[in-house]
Amino acid sequence: MKRFGRGIATIMFGFGYGEGFPDYSVASIEFAEDNKILVRTAAADVGQGVLTVVVQIAAEVLKVSPEVIRIIPGDTHLTKNAGSSSATRQTFFTGNAVKNAAQALLSNIYHYASIEFRSNYAELSVKGGYVFRVDQPNNKISFWELAQKVKEKGEILRAEASFFPRTNKPNPETGRGEKVYVAYTFVTQIAEVEVDTITGNVQVLKIYTAADIGKAINPQNVEGQIEGGAMQGIGMALMEEQVLKDGVTLNANLTDYLIPTAMDMPQFETCLIEKEDSDGPFGAKGIGEPGTIATAPAIANAIFDAIGIRFYDLPITPDKILKALKEQKDKKL
Amino acid sequence: MSKMYVGENIIKVDSKEKVIGKALYPDDLSFEGMLYLKIKRAVHPHAILRKLDISKAEKLPGIVKIITAADIPWVKNFGLIIKDQPVLIGIGQKMRYMGDALAIVIAENKEIASQALRLIEVEVEKLEVISDPIRAIEKDAPPIHNNGNILATHYLEKGNIEKGFAQADLIVDKEYRTSFLDHIPLQVESGLGVFDAKTEVITIWAATQWIHDTQADMAQALGLPKEKIRIIQPAIGGAFGKREDISVHLHLALAAMLTKRPVKLTYTREESMITQSKRHAFIVRAKTGATKTGYLTAWQVEVIGDTGAYASSGPAVVRKGLYHCTGPYNVPNVKGVAYTIYTNNTYAGAMRGFGTTQMAFAYESQMDILAFELGIDPVRFRLQNAYEIGSSTPNQQILNTSVGVKDTIQEAARMANWKEESR
Repeated sequence: MKRFGRGIATIMFGFGYGEGFPDYSVASIEFAEDNKILVRTAAADVGQGVLTVVVQIAAEVLKVSPEVIRIIPGDTHLTKNAGSSSATRQTFFTGNAVKNAAQALLSNIYHYASIEFRSNYAELSVKGGYVFRVDQPNNKISFWELAQKVKEKGEILRAEASFFPRTNKPNPETGRGEKVYVAYTFVTQIAEVEVDTITGNVQVLKIYTAADIGKAINPQNVEGQIEGGAMQGIGMALMEEQVLKDGVTLNANLTDYLIPTAMDMPQFETCLIEKEDSDGPFGAKGIGEPGTIATAPAIANAIFDAIGIRFYDLPITPDKILKALKEQKDKKL
Repeated sequence: MSKMYVGENIIKVDSKEKVIGKALYPDDLSFEGMLYLKIKRAVHPHAILRKLDISKAEKLPGIVKIITAADIPWVKNFGLIIKDQPVLIGIGQKMRYMGDALAIVIAENKEIASQALRLIEVEVEKLEVISDPIRAIEKDAPPIHNNGNILATHYLEKGNIEKGFAQADLIVDKEYRTSFLDHIPLQVESGLGVFDAKTEVITIWAATQWIHDTQADMAQALGLPKEKIRIIQPAIGGAFGKREDISVHLHLALAAMLTKRPVKLTYTREESMITQSKRHAFIVRAKTGATKTGYLTAWQVEVIGDTGAYASSGPAVVRKGLYHCTGPYNVPNVKGVAYTIYTNNTYAGAMRGFGTTQMAFAYESQMDILAFELGIDPVRFRLQNAYEIGSSTPNQQILNTSVGVKDTIQEAARMANWKEESR
């Protein structure tokens, strides 16, 4: 028999290293010879999309097409510290560093262009890689021409900036601290499941997610993080476990260590709550880790709703479900 | 202000290269005259190395060199927070889990390197294997590291926990357990190393989540100035926390330095699963009190985080779990303690959620049990306890901005067409 259940879980995640640990990112922007804008950042794109975020932010501030922006690959000898791609921090930290660098570059574009145009700063604007006087839009200089003119003066048109917010080290006895994390991301998930009481198998049918992320720089990639995170959460809830016996791993292969496949993928419905109210770039908060956290408890709660049995250890495998169902039946008899 | 590119679904800038197969992951790279490495791993999870005989393996045609701890006395331990991880285990030293490295085999090809692994003879003095953190903290348990098996203890205290429980009409006291998990990124640990004899710079092409941190840790372990270690990031096939710790990097650097030839090391999936970091297995004892009208009064936790053989990010992971013990709910009285424990299991480090994922299973189960026992709809129960502007976290951080937790509950319930149920 298949029994339907649904469960809810709401989570918080304080992102960034926090706890008083120095946490910053440095980024710089310069003009490349091939009419490209070069962003230097050491932020590792592990598939989550930070480089896309960086391109969108730089393009937004400099009002150029994203295709114009190029990022040099991470290299300790060509970039400065961006911190890790972990702690759900890159959009917030490197996003802000790039935004600050782009704003610094834009200020310098206006500075040098105002000399060229014999104009005041407020009379200038930029669009599509050109800087021009607002009252004479056809009288324009491209960023690269301007960079060349600056170079002829013996100076460089580039900018470097960082983002370095402070957090407080918590009191070791109480954990108390005024600002332990830069901000929190909040997520609620509702999971709908079907428990097969004959096989013990749990099928996750649907996952609804509402995430308070401040602002999605790239909504599709945010949804990707949530859906990918939920799949890892399904693994944690229902099947994944490194089985160790006396320190020896018994399932060090993907035949015996199960992870969810496309067949385990539920339907997703996601709502992004965007109040643009954080200190992140354009109000954004991080979503990397929060995407996975609510899923396992939402599923565990849904299983309880379906069969009236609460599980206290993960993963909730078919074996455990069948054993618990048998105990439940024996108790009733 | 309306925006042109922020908020738009721009296609990921690196997706085209990945989709058409042009993106180069570490194992796709090669250099002329490149040698291949394999690592001889521990033969027992907790033992003293008494003999390491590489003479037969060295004689195998195609073996260029086998590096043991005796060849590199100047090399120091490494580690993200505490430098407790040896690069190679020497004679008289302890192996503490099955992933510890005993020797670096360098060969003309992978097959010969694998053959040589089987020809290395190892003798050990076995010690008690500690695979359960509860056993690890017993007084007579052998210490895995010099300072005992409790690596770190962290505390949390807010309000008055006794008063909080006295105000409660219902107290739920449960124990939760989670397992060791592997991140299973598509790409296993892999990298290349090149030593430039002229500049004496070692260049490593390997995935890491933080190139400058890996550079610094490598430099201190090898006793070199930072600028002599260059790390270039190839395409990365997933990470999820597993690429925060050093994996292939130091073995590549040593092999490149000592052979003066380009070298490559790629783990097998089995090796990756046994050797590289895991999600901590947690034991969480949670005791939560609420009034009959459904308001939380007290929350107490005890956390035991099994960090395996080495510290990695362990103390920070378990601490962060502790600091998230109540979830996003107003609780005036909180008390907690968290222990990070060494065992002979695979070392545990960062994994997506960093301790808070395990903790969420505990606190959201507690919330569900309380709602059920109180006969209050679980959505309503969460809503009425959820943070708002001005709320105070377990760390007593006052949240002044961007507290959309209630919106998330309401929106999720709306999407799921959640009808309030009262039991």
